[in-house]
Amino acid sequence: MQCQKATVQMNGLCNVKKVADLCSVNGFSEAALDKKKHNKPDEVTLSTMEEAYSTILRGLGENTERQGLKSTPGRAARAMQFFTKGYRETVQDVLNDAVFDEDHDEMVIVKDIEMFSLCEHHLVPFFGKVHIGYLPNQKIVGLSKLARVVEMYSRRLQVQERLTKQIAIAIVEALKPAGVAVIVEAEHMCMVMRGVQKKNSRTITSAMLGVFREDPKTREEFLSLIKS
Amino acid sequence: MERTKAKLSDNLTGTPPQTVNRHLEERLATTKYAARTGSSQVVCENGVPLSTVPDSWKEERTRSLEDNEMSLPSLAAAYTTILRGLGEDPERQGLLKTPWRAATAMQYFTKGYQEKITDVLNDAIFDEDHDEMVIVKDIDMFSMCEHHLVPFIGKVHIGYLPNKRVLGLSKLARIVEIYSRRLQVQERLTKQIAVAITEALKPAGVGVVIEATAKEGGAY
Repeated sequence: MQCQKATVQMNGLCNVKKVADLCSVNGFSEAALDKKKHNKPDEVTLSTMEEAYSTILRGLGENTERQGLKSTPGRAARAMQFFTKGYRETVQDVLNDAVFDEDHDEMVIVKDIEMFSLCEHHLVPFFGKVHIGYLPNQKIVGLSKLARVVEMYSRRLQVQERLTKQIAIAIVEALKPAGVAVIVEAEHMCMVMRGVQKKNSRTITSAMLGVFREDPKTREEFLSLIKS
Repeated sequence: MERTKAKLSDNLTGTPPQTVNRHLEERLATTKYAARTGSSQVVCENGVPLSTVPDSWKEERTRSLEDNEMSLPSLAAAYTTILRGLGEDPERQGLLKTPWRAATAMQYFTKGYQEKITDVLNDAIFDEDHDEMVIVKDIDMFSMCEHHLVPFIGKVHIGYLPNKRVLGLSKLARIVEIYSRRLQVQERLTKQIAVAITEALKPAGVGVVIEATAKEGGAY
């Protein structure tokens, strides 16, 4: 399926190419799914997923006929589609032309953006906060659009490292700023609810591009501003 | 306690309590517990005798480790179908083993079905002449919402007034673990914990408070 190939391509790029290469790839953030095909979830797909969930419930030893579980396959399938709705969005749609010309060359920071995502390894949620900062270069973006970009990339099957990078690259491509910094701080339920079971641990990943990467003072300013 | 006992036995002829995990009915019908309910049994739609809420704490295990191993391939296949249905490519590196990992994780999240309360409690009930409140609070709880298969996590606080019998304190946390590691509804979870302690200790009273949040972010 074309959509799957695009997803592979999109995820593959992040894993393999260096940052400089990524920045020069036009439309990297647009390598999303073919929108026409995936604008609306397929009826057939939904019922296939419902059957899969019924199989899972039975495999766990539960009785799918009991009152509490009767509609669970349908609900769980729709919930999973909601958790992965980011696949059906593109950066172009999300930004909605809210890029403006402005002669501002100081740091712009939007911090404490809530993020809920799904770990692609266990299909278990991880959630936390995203802090984004950028140094504009004649173009600024509507502030809520930064949160929308976070939403779009987090509502997918993700790995925290890739999520951070995708957000950063999307802003770079949309605005061509002097620099972008993204920090994601999250708790992973796959670590809390199972496995090593460490409740209070958090994972922090960051992506520093442009002047944030080159100039330590700029980076320091960003880090101290998000702490306050 | 006598008054409570009378109220519980009235349930035998009352409407089927919604809080019982019905899948246990078939198992219970074939065990000695079915005989205990006597002739005035309540039956649910498929004619299987319904146990009352108080009996549910003695339920048999519905799953064994062998069952887990045997159902793993079909669970993994179901997860592969789900990944395809979402538009993802199950062959890409990050998702290659995900169906197996997700299936094992889900079996872990429902491991309460493999355990029995009596196994946990039998050795840790002691005769003690203590009649003041005993409270264990801030017990971490991780459960799965049975309606959407989404985790909800929180804290459980348990208090009871002993009546000559006390329970090992960690056993309260174990009871929470057994009942929460299932497909649950918070109301039922609370009641099952309370009833299990009541039946095991016959205390003067039990209080259970659960505060939890679902971790899915947003309404859908």
